[in-house]
Amino acid sequence: MATKHWKQAASLLSAGAMAASLFAVPLTVKADDAVTISFSFDQGVGEATQQMVDAYNESQDKVRVETVILPQDANTVHDDFVNKLASGDTSVDVMGLDVTYISEFGSAGWLADLTDLVDPSLTEGMLTGPVEGATIDGKLVAMPWFTNSSVLFYRSDVLEELGAEVPTTWEGWMELADKAVGVNGVEYGADFQAAQSEALVCNWVEHVWSNGGDILDADGNPVVNSENNIEATELMKKLVDEYAPEGVTTYTETESEQVFKEGKCLFIRDWSGFWSSGQDEGSKVTGKIAATKLPVGPSGTESHTCLGGLDLVINNNIDDEHKAAAADFISYMASPETQKEMTLISSQPPVVESVYTDPEILEAIPFYEEFVDIIATGKSRPLSPQYAKLSDAIQRNIHQALTGEAEVAAAIETLQGELEELNK
Amino acid sequence: MSKRKKARGSLEKTETRDAWIMMTPALICLGVVAVYPILRTFWLSLHEMVLTDPLSGYPFIGLSNYAKIFQDSRALDAILFTLKFTVVTVFFELLLGFASALVMNQGFRAKGLVRAAILIPWAIPTSVSAMMWKFIYNDQYGLFNDVLYRLGVIDSYKAWLSTADGSFMALVITDVWKTAPYMALLILAGLQMVPDEMYEAAKIDGANVFQRFRYVTLPTVKTTVLVALLFRTLDAFRVFDLISVMTGGANGTESISVYAYNNLMKFLDFGYGSSLAVLIFAVVFVISLIYMKLMGNRLTEI
Amino acid sequence: MTKARSILGKIAFVIFVVVFVGIIVLPFFWQFMTSVKPLSEISAIPAKWIPSSVHGDFYVNVFTKHPFGRYLLNSFIVALTTTVLSILIGASAAYALARLRFKGKKFMLMAILSISMFPTIATLSPIYLLLKNLRLLNTYAGLILPYITFALPLAIWLLTNFFAQLPKGFEEAAAIDGCSRGKIFFTIMLPLIKPAIFSVALIVFINAWNEYLYALTFMTNDNMRTVPVGIALFPSNYELPWGDMAAATVVVTVPLIILVLIFQKKIIAGLTTGGVKE
Repeated sequence: MATKHWKQAASLLSAGAMAASLFAVPLTVKADDAVTISFSFDQGVGEATQQMVDAYNESQDKVRVETVILPQDANTVHDDFVNKLASGDTSVDVMGLDVTYISEFGSAGWLADLTDLVDPSLTEGMLTGPVEGATIDGKLVAMPWFTNSSVLFYRSDVLEELGAEVPTTWEGWMELADKAVGVNGVEYGADFQAAQSEALVCNWVEHVWSNGGDILDADGNPVVNSENNIEATELMKKLVDEYAPEGVTTYTETESEQVFKEGKCLFIRDWSGFWSSGQDEGSKVTGKIAATKLPVGPSGTESHTCLGGLDLVINNNIDDEHKAAAADFISYMASPETQKEMTLISSQPPVVESVYTDPEILEAIPFYEEFVDIIATGKSRPLSPQYAKLSDAIQRNIHQALTGEAEVAAAIETLQGELEELNK
Repeated sequence: MSKRKKARGSLEKTETRDAWIMMTPALICLGVVAVYPILRTFWLSLHEMVLTDPLSGYPFIGLSNYAKIFQDSRALDAILFTLKFTVVTVFFELLLGFASALVMNQGFRAKGLVRAAILIPWAIPTSVSAMMWKFIYNDQYGLFNDVLYRLGVIDSYKAWLSTADGSFMALVITDVWKTAPYMALLILAGLQMVPDEMYEAAKIDGANVFQRFRYVTLPTVKTTVLVALLFRTLDAFRVFDLISVMTGGANGTESISVYAYNNLMKFLDFGYGSSLAVLIFAVVFVISLIYMKLMGNRLTEI
Repeated sequence: MTKARSILGKIAFVIFVVVFVGIIVLPFFWQFMTSVKPLSEISAIPAKWIPSSVHGDFYVNVFTKHPFGRYLLNSFIVALTTTVLSILIGASAAYALARLRFKGKKFMLMAILSISMFPTIATLSPIYLLLKNLRLLNTYAGLILPYITFALPLAIWLLTNFFAQLPKGFEEAAAIDGCSRGKIFFTIMLPLIKPAIFSVALIVFINAWNEYLYALTFMTNDNMRTVPVGIALFPSNYELPWGDMAAATVVVTVPLIILVLIFQKKIIAGLTTGGVKE
């Protein structure tokens, strides 16, 4: 009796141990004499990226790239990279990193200096905004990969019905929205992203920039507390209160897109890629969408989109052999040929300028013709190692202003104070 | 007689030794996996360590990070919110958990299905259920609005997650829905340890349902309930996933874990973030001591 | 009179159970409906309760677009091993704490508990380092080891509680029959707390089955990924495949429901041994 039970226990234990030991050897594949590097990026453009990587692996036999795909969630990706890099890990060589984190990772010393690793001619043909964002103290620490910018998508059928011109100012759009409610199922004049998140930061800085305001001046001092910014924020609050769906202060991209795709909104401010996803199988507005530049605020002269996108960066902890291999790979990914290919299958805006005027591209994505101007006038969010704190301060204070928890002017004043505190 | 004494003696002699042998596997696990992270967190909390500023050299600064907490109104707000959240959710979880455990403990037809059904919320991966509930509270196509509207409770759809009260209520409902089954399962196990004969005996003595509950059920499951409460309290106080998915800490719903996370992973301030982690540890430790006191020696006396 | 009252009581009980269970199951029912709806009805405004047609495309997607079978297998191996080992290790320690005499028990219980007192995020990076040094990243053992560790506090506390409830003097009687400590533990004590063991096992299993953060960080090889991470990998830019995710949720939840249905008899088995309590 006793032995039977001990035996049972022993067999359970050994089964567990076997299961554990069976898989105790890390599963790594090694090609003959090729250098194997690991490339980590998120599922956002996962499939297109995987195709580019496969093409690279086939094109040569010196470097083998293995991919580690992460969930499409900016925080998850950021935290995963931080965990690895902060512990001096070398299991990942190349990463696809959101442009807002370049400064932070760079000042932590985690990014390899690419200045001497890649051919300088590569960045010469690129848009200036992304290249500036990838440069810290004159050193290139990241390779721009693709960019992202927002536009205003609107219901062309509704404008046609009303016989209206496309407005270019926020006031114009509000006036139009007043008439548009009730036309072709439109219930809400405006749709955008105002949940306490990075999406809110993008929306807000666009309002600020398009109203002649700014966040930091040329020397990096906060200039948030200005007439222009208060006016821009008041305007945003008016959109929240009178034009947008009740829940807009809980919307990130997904939720806002859903309402627009149901045909309930006159316009939506969104990233350019919504052009195709907004007209997919489940959408009720397929064929009824047009895109235009973001509107200008009451005191502004020109609108500016908030630039996003991903850069390719090399882990600074890895040895020179791997760095060289990684540099070869990212040069491939940033080359005009690959950029064109990637754009064709993913519709992600490329960083190589010539791609926008390529006839084949223009045939596939006609609105790139105007789009190149929108990107050229786009601005980057402040490049600061403290960006995370800056963004957090904007998110909290502006969200409070929009939900009415705080007065706009008071929220802006608090924000100014918090940003000044950061600069100390 | 002598045989009995001898046997007893032989077991007693090895009692302490056996105890340590039987605890060794657990201690090894805890020692290997848990001790280092805990010590490291304590250690980091005594340093100024912002990863984006490696030039600082990460100096030792004693208890300065802890002093900073008490001047940081955001940290204090987060602690207050977390306490409120913990008390409210744990209270309702106990209530509903106990009720469902009593139901599950009854003999009736289809009891198997009911028991399985009650456990469903606990079985859905948290990452999915938080997102699912965010959809449920959506102001346009959310189920919550639809149900309340059909029942006539509200006359128009509401954006539940856009106000402080709405967010708090939404978070509480979701957490209670998700974890009451956990409570139920544990309390059920406790109820199962009450032999039927005890109920029968009480019935014969003329005790009614409430008396049986008060004098038979409650005393037997008391410690089990306290243990279950203790673990739910520890988890509720560390609430993170739910909040980060559903509100992102907006509308005054930033829990102390979310704030600690922001400092550690977003601001890369490992020093201050670690001190917040230690603060969570300290608060939870005190709560545990209170529970321990309530349990008395029930767990350890022989 | 009393009969009428008892019938009324029964009806009230049934109504209570139906409403209660209904509310609890509603979100899952909704999720299930979503998983069989046509794409265009998923986010219809207002919500559409009964789909106009039923289809299984999302279920096909789950298994064809992703290596979901592999994810399920990984989750199953990890969760099962974690459960078995945690129960063995936890029960053994709990027995010692509840029924053997030695000094420092309360300290021990608090020390064990204290590892559940830190926010998970603070433990992530040190454990990553540790597993890396042990060369356990991307192995089942690398996930099982932390899972067991964080399952132990609950397992030990609860089982200690149940062992402590058993009447005193049991071991003595057994010792007279010449039983060793091991035999007493396995043949007498463990079976006595069976309902508790199954409850704890279920909780440990589900916790391991649903864990996300460690699984994401310690398993970077796609072949080693577990279900929650697998589901998190579904969405891409501009696409939230809610139908696929709903189907995946159903696929991962149903085995657990079946598991509960199988084991509920054991959980509810109760003290058939009888006469254990005075």
